[in-house]
Order: sequence, then structure tokens, then C-alpha cells
Amino acid sequence: MESTPTLPIPISYVSGRYLLFSIDAVTYLRREHNICGVLIGTLPQIPQQNVFLGLPLELMPEEARVLVDKDVACIVDEARAHDGMRSRLEEDRRQYLRDLESQGQLATRMLADRKDQQREQSLKEIDEKKAKGLAAKAAKAANAAKAAADAQNAASSTSAATEKGEPKSVFAGEDESSSLSRTTGTSTPAPHQAMGVTPTTSYPLLPHPVSSSAQYLPKPEVPLSYPLFAHLHSRGYFLSPGLRFGCQYVAYPGDPLRFHSHFVVVSAEWDQEMDLMDIVNGGRLGTGVKKGFLLGGPQKRRDEVESEADRIETVRTFSIEWAGM
Amino acid sequence: MADADEDAVRGTTVEATQIEVDLSDETQDFRLLNHLNFLTDTSSSSLPRRGEKDFEPNPTEFQADVLSASRQAMHNALAHPRLHNPKTQVIAIYAPEGPPPAPAVTPGQDTAKTPSRGASVSPDACVYVPSPKGQYFKSMGQADRKGVIWLLPEEALYLLERGSLDIRWPTSITGGTTVEEGSEEEEEKLSIPMSLQAAYTCLIGRGGLTLERFTVFSSLKRIGYAISRAPGWDESTEVDDSVDEHSRHAYTQPLKRGAGLAGILGSIFNWINDPKSTSSTAAGPVIGYGIHRNYADIYKKLALIPWYDPTLTPTRNSLNTSSPFRVIFYVYKPSTPIKKSALPPPDFRIAVINTREQTTAPTLPELSALLESTPLDPPHGEKMARQMYMRLRHGYRNVILAVVDQGVTSFLRVADVAFGKERLYEGANVPTGPKKGGNFRKKKR
Repeated sequence: MESTPTLPIPISYVSGRYLLFSIDAVTYLRREHNICGVLIGTLPQIPQQNVFLGLPLELMPEEARVLVDKDVACIVDEARAHDGMRSRLEEDRRQYLRDLESQGQLATRMLADRKDQQREQSLKEIDEKKAKGLAAKAAKAANAAKAAADAQNAASSTSAATEKGEPKSVFAGEDESSSLSRTTGTSTPAPHQAMGVTPTTSYPLLPHPVSSSAQYLPKPEVPLSYPLFAHLHSRGYFLSPGLRFGCQYVAYPGDPLRFHSHFVVVSAEWDQEMDLMDIVNGGRLGTGVKKGFLLGGPQKRRDEVESEADRIETVRTFSIEWAGM
Repeated sequence: MADADEDAVRGTTVEATQIEVDLSDETQDFRLLNHLNFLTDTSSSSLPRRGEKDFEPNPTEFQADVLSASRQAMHNALAHPRLHNPKTQVIAIYAPEGPPPAPAVTPGQDTAKTPSRGASVSPDACVYVPSPKGQYFKSMGQADRKGVIWLLPEEALYLLERGSLDIRWPTSITGGTTVEEGSEEEEEKLSIPMSLQAAYTCLIGRGGLTLERFTVFSSLKRIGYAISRAPGWDESTEVDDSVDEHSRHAYTQPLKRGAGLAGILGSIFNWINDPKSTSSTAAGPVIGYGIHRNYADIYKKLALIPWYDPTLTPTRNSLNTSSPFRVIFYVYKPSTPIKKSALPPPDFRIAVINTREQTTAPTLPELSALLESTPLDPPHGEKMARQMYMRLRHGYRNVILAVVDQGVTSFLRVADVAFGKERLYEGANVPTGPKKGGNFRKKKR
């Protein structure tokens, strides 16, 4: 986990959005560069909920820009990179398929091991229940039938649980068949076929795009609020998109996995006229959710400077709170 | 000393009360996923409580350990592979050219497919499943006459992402194999599975599918809704039947009575009660002179302000709205029976808005055009008839705006409310009869 992926990390530019597909890149950027992004994909192991989401990770253009400016990442046009599919040699393809198959076999073996463990455990449980049932029989002959029924229920409970609702994962079917084979008494599993694998990234089938820097796309276009974003990010804050909380960004003092956010952030240009009501609203909102309302922006306009970087240095921030008097 | 502090922190782990919160609102502690142990014990499949968070980073080892454990758990959860059991594996093939057009010759890779059979398939479909099995095709995909199911890009991507579909690159892209043509099974074995990355690359951006639309689609799909594309999906199709001048008539003038016998009788009684009607407002009191026999009469005369009646607005062609404020998804509750060939009227209509492209709130014309494009859906049912606030909240037309801010989706329901239709003075709790003893209220028993 503590590994560093090859730099610069390729950020996939797909249809105008910035995405990350490599788990190592996601973990690394979160750990070392305070970039969280937003997970938007379905987790294959629990696909029927929206609380925990999986890859890909969507990055705001601001996040992508910060990373590109730090030379940590580069932007890659995925559509063009995947045109490379047309020029793969047959030998590469076969090698790739062999790799996938061995991954699939490994997965099959691991699942089989896990299943064996599970089976042993549930068999043990059944034995215990049976022993209990026998004891009950000895004590009270009349209850014997009921106890047997209990044991029966326990034996089928695993399969019943997996059948509850839709199968939760690709393994669900596997579990069912295992409990079935147990109840029918055949304990030796049939030789397993390799699982099919859907890889997450297209590498190593495609050449790693970082190898040819000529293919990098230009830096991402960023909104006017970018200097404030970059300023807060450089001070160690983790920033997330904040519209749902009534602001532009939500600023966390550390990894949002562990910490509550401290600020609701809104950016403004230095000479931009603001409605006083907006400030009051922001202040009320922030105080209401125990956060500060942070208002800030660069003191220079875009047409006054050479590049965005010059604007970042001139950022000033203000925090507004309702004072309890 | 530091240890003592850390122990103190360790001690206070669980808070007593948990208020009900929207779990998806916050970044979740992925350690909770480990407790979920979904592979072995499905009885604990209910969603976990949210993790406790700290106020700010401190230099304790304890905090560093917890954070690193959280990150490790997140890493493990995200690294979970998408595996296909050979018994249940469903294989699909990506067809970048889309389904074969009715009369034309089929593109390279599906030589087995006879032309003129994809008639009922949407031209945007680009992934086909030669031998469909499993539950997912009940609400997704369109079959051509050969029984091959064609999936729209969002459907294919969603299924691949949840690990239920194995999409293969077509040989037209990856190049033919040395195996002789015809042995399809062999070909299937040697075709290259598409990665998640490749699937996003190829499918997002196809036929109007933006990442925002897909995010909304998959988040609803995950929790069990069935979804179909609405006619407004394609942004380029715009119809301009000018109904704008009609919508003005939606403002009802005060004192207008409905037609029908009751209305006529009502106006006659009003006339008998009050021969000098309100026409003299300029000169006299608003409610006019004369004998006022009940409150309802008086209130009726006080209703001077014109109000908006959503039932009178004409329904607009759903294509006569401008993007992004147009309905692009029809959504069905899991309980609604779905027949793919004849879809019932949807339970919800959704417009998807990307906050980076649409940075301002919709204007009134945009919003009312959007509402007019949805059918009239007045409040009905026993509960609605009883509770006025339920009626007001439900409104007469409604639409859901899915506002996507860089991957974070908020759903807003916008309804056309008719306050004018709620006559408070006719309610059960207000005195209707002749005035009796001022504001005196009966004591509750």
C-alpha cells in the first residue's frame, strides 16, 4: 500500500471529465497529495447501495490542475490511448489472456479455500446443534422431533441467507452451490474452472501512456475559483465539491475519512460586488453546521497576471462566523 | 504521558445516540466495510453506522494508526476484483458501429447476423449479448428478432461495473485470430475482456451519454429503480410548437366559478344574497354592502389577487424544452411491473444538470417549460384528500432535478403548487356558518 506508482500518474480524460482507474494512484494521491476526488463507481462486492462507492474516481478540474502543476500527474486522452487496441500484436494478446486466466485461477483457488473454511465451520456448528438436540432427546423424548427440525433449519440457514433478496455478489451463486453440495453429502469439490476477470485498468495490455510525453493533453481548464482552491490545498486542506452543502468547496483539515470539515468555502473575485445577503446566508449556514464560512479570492484579475500561478500567491481568505454575544 | 492521552481517546469510542443521517452525504469510513463481511455472513448486510470522526489532526500515534487502518480498508475495498463464475458468466461484445441498420450490410464482426433484424433496437445501443441469461435483462436491453440483446451504453457500463457482465473487444478492433473463422466458441475464448477503464472510455460520450447522466443512472439503478431514456434524451431534437401565449391563461381571475350545476346554483345564491356585488370596490368596502350571511362569502370576496392554476396550463411537448432543463430519464419504482416492450407511465421524471456547465439556478421560463412538459399529476388518494400540506407538497406537476456537482449528486423535486386551490375558509376547522360569538373557541374535550 505504501508504494509509489510511476510518476507522473496518468489522469484519464474521458469525454471532458478527469478520472482515475488505478487503485494505487488513488491511494497514493490521497496519502501524499491530499487529493480525494469523488468515487463514482459501483463496488462489485456490494453493488446495491450508494453509501460506499468504488472506482473510478472523478477529479475536479481543479484537482487535476493542481496535480499537473506539481508534475505529479499528466492528462491522457483515453480515447486516443485505446486506439492502441488496434495495433496490439497477437503475441501480446495471448500473453495478456494467459495473465488474466492465471489471475482467475488464483481467485478460484482463494474462494475455494475460503469455502472450505466456511464449510468446516458450519459443519462444526451443525454438530454442536445436533449434540444439543440429542441431549434434549435424552431429557425429553417429546421434543426430539422439534430439535431435529432446528438442526435442519441451521443446516439450510446459510443458503437461505444468501438467497435473501438478490444475490449480493458474484460469489453468491458459489455459496449456494457449496451449501447444496454439503447437504447432498458430496464433499469433494469438482475441479474448478478459472473465474473470468474484468480488469480495472487497460494496462499492461496498452503501453503505459506516460512513456510518451508527446501525448499529454494541455493543463485542465479551471474555473475562476481555482486560486482559492490551490491556496487552501497548499495549506494542507482536503477539498471536496461542496454544492450539496451550499458552497463551492468543503475544506477538511485532514483526510475526510477521519475528520469533520471545518469550512464551507466560497470563492469571489477581489473587486466582485457581493450581495450582503449572500454573506449573511453563508455565515448562517456555516454556523448552523458548526463550520466556518470561508470567503476568499485572489487580489488580481486574470487579465492582470501572466498565469494562474501568480494569482494563487495573492489569495486572501476571510472567515465569517456568527458570534454568540 | 502521551499514552495516557491516547488511552483516554480510545475509551470514548462510541457515542450513545445516532441521529438519522443521510449516510451518503459524508465520506464513509471504509473500515466499516470490513465488518460487513458480506462473503461469509449475509445476515449483517444492513448498512453500518457511520464511523466516529475527530475534530482535527493531532500528532498522536493512535490517530495515525486509525487513519492508516481506514485507508487500508478503503484500498482493499476498492481493489476488490470483478470476477465471473464460469457457470453464471454473461459475455457481451462491444459493437462500436452500433446495431446493424435494417437494410445495410452488417459490420465485420457479426457476419453470422442477418441484416434487417435490428429494427426494434435503438441506434445508440452498442453492446450485444449473444446468449443472455440472468435477471438483469428483464428491465434492460432490447432484443432483436434473433434473440440477441442489445444494451445501451449506460446499461452495459453499469452491468460491467457491478461485475455482472463481461464485455469483450470485437475482433474488428483487436484484429482477427489465427483460429479459422466460424468456430465462434474459440473466438469467444480468445477475445479480450474490456477493462473498466476501456469501458468508460468507449461508452461514456456515446449517443449523448455524459458522465453526469451515467452517474445518475447508476446511482438509481444500484438501489433498485428501473430506468429508461425519455424522448428528451437527444439534445438536438427540439420541437417548437409555440404554446407560450396560452400559458398566460393559467392565471385565474378571482371569483371565477367552475361550470356545472353547483357552480350555477352557487352564483345564483350569491346574487340573491348580495345584489350589490363587488363591482363597487372603488367607492365602498371591498366586500361590498349588504348582508353577509357567512364567512365563506366574505372570504370569497376578499380573494382579489389572481392566482396561478396549474391545471389550466397546456401540456407542452417534452421536446420543446431546452437542455439541461428537460426530462431525460423515466424512472420506475422497483414495485412497478415493467414490460420492456410497453413501458408504463413513469413514476418519476428526471432532468440531469451538470453544475460546471449550468452554474445558475433555472429561470422561471426554463422551470415552467420543464414542468409543463410533464403530464398533470394532481394529488389523489385518501391521505392527500385529508391533509392539505401533503397536497401542497405534492403539487400538480412534478419533476426531479438531479444536480451533479463533480460526481456528487443531489436530487431535488420541483412541483407546481396551487395555493389558490386550497380554500382555507372552506376547511373543516374554520367556522363556516353565521358568526357566533366572535373568536370564542370550544374547549377540546
